Amino acid sequence: MKVSDKYYDEIFDFLDQWDMPSKCGLKIITKGNKKIIVVTELYQDNPGTSVTYNGASLAWQICRAKGIKPEDMIYIECNPDTNSKLSFYDEEFFEVSFEFQGDRLTNPTYKALTSDEIRNYFKVF
Amino acid sequence: MKFKLIYPKWEKLPGQTTFNLPPHGPVVFAASLPSYVDVTFTDENVEDINFDEACDFIGVSMMLSTQVKRGWEIADEFRRRGKQVIFGGISTMLHAEETMLHADSVFLGESEGRMEEVLKDWKEGKLKKLYNFMAERPDIALVGPARRDLYKRHLYNHKGVQMVDLFHASRGCKFSCYPCAVSYLGGRHFRPRPLDKTIEELNTIDNNRLFIVDNSLAQSTDWELDLFREMIPLKKKWISHTIEDDPKVLDLAAQAGAWYVYQAVYDTSDYIKERIKRYHDYGIGVEGTILLGLDNQSEDDILRLIDFLLEIDLDLAEFTILAPFPHTKAYDDLLRQGRIFDHDWNHYNAGRVVYQPKHMSAERLQELYDYAWEAFYKDESQEEKMFKLFAQVMLKEMKDGTYRPRDRNLITKSFGKDVVRKISN
Repeated sequence: MKVSDKYYDEIFDFLDQWDMPSKCGLKIITKGNKKIIVVTELYQDNPGTSVTYNGASLAWQICRAKGIKPEDMIYIECNPDTNSKLSFYDEEFFEVSFEFQGDRLTNPTYKALTSDEIRNYFKVF
Repeated sequence: MKFKLIYPKWEKLPGQTTFNLPPHGPVVFAASLPSYVDVTFTDENVEDINFDEACDFIGVSMMLSTQVKRGWEIADEFRRRGKQVIFGGISTMLHAEETMLHADSVFLGESEGRMEEVLKDWKEGKLKKLYNFMAERPDIALVGPARRDLYKRHLYNHKGVQMVDLFHASRGCKFSCYPCAVSYLGGRHFRPRPLDKTIEELNTIDNNRLFIVDNSLAQSTDWELDLFREMIPLKKKWISHTIEDDPKVLDLAAQAGAWYVYQAVYDTSDYIKERIKRYHDYGIGVEGTILLGLDNQSEDDILRLIDFLLEIDLDLAEFTILAPFPHTKAYDDLLRQGRIFDHDWNHYNAGRVVYQPKHMSAERLQELYDYAWEAFYKDESQEEKMFKLFAQVMLKEMKDGTYRPRDRNLITKSFGKDVVRKISN
């Protein structure tokens, strides 16, 4: 279940709620005044928590590390294609919205993106 | 100091044969306590908790999500009585935030080499709310031997037959299976215990029948071969999860006493059929584990799978419904899709639907689960099939000269309670 590096430009190290060292793929695309942040689950190469389980904290950690204002981001979670025979590991993209609460993000809500929507965002994959 | 260690009870699945096995986590944890600690152990599944027992500090060890709510109740009661309570164990790690609301302290991670610090803090009145060792796993050589002396043995006995002892030879898992949280909890790296210590501990267990609880033995061929080779002289008989599908490994496993294995049956392919046959060719029984409710299963798929199970000569079958435990991919997927409708941890027993299945209603999946149990055990009950497997192990033990007859003193007892005999007129 090796994840192709076409999904990311860098590996981003983050901490889960219990400071467990974790890794995800990260790609940031600038589109007008918006930053499209794509975090990719790395499965076997992620020693810690998933990008989803601690998503709000991960988004916050990326914003801080990359100097991105949360209000300027479009945040997308990617389950990459792993060439698995199991359909659970097919490629999927979700746009994630958060609520701001003081100095943190909370309450992630997810919208599955269609292939057309993905193409519109990136024209990359 | 007197440390009272408790393993909370959980509600067993209706309609299934209940066996209470001596729990493994608490006695492995107890081995990590300093020698000056006087430990008592209560498994609430087989005995009531004495809340008035004189003790200094309470530990609640939890493995299953279905234990956590009861664990919180127990802690609340002890804390009302002025005792301090610390939680640990697998489901404490999965439900840590909620558990902290009921705890003086929560321990996350593996306890070997850590408990001196915790107890020193406790003695000095400086117990921390959280001991977080999730990211700092101890040297695997520090593990064990488990404190099996803490078991009240007669409580793990059914009509004179001693239940299997649980044992682990490794931690961590290199696989990252869809419904499983082990790679998060124990790490994605396979960590075998030193072979000499493993064999030394096995040798001390006063029970010829074991359940090797490692998530999968199929992590390293060389390790499996070494382990099985060293186990042969012990003449133990054991149950385990999957063994690698390799003739050399299966042959040595059989020689080392493999009694039966839990093998996932996830489709109706010839590969599965052959896999089961290969175990049987080496004299190893198979209990199929069948997970229902995955997104790639339609009603027809499940019905076909049940028919298939009846054709492939499984010795036993265990059906479960997908439960989206935290820190599994199943949880992430169902959460994102807004399909989890039941967040009561008591219902996460793998026998109850807590999410909206993709291809059928929740009610229909529940019906199919009930049907699966009924259909598989229609012609021969679970108890009858278990007895057949039991007879196999008895014969092997007789051949080895290790067979122990039933304990006649406990023949009218089942897990500490009187056996109620059904007398028909």
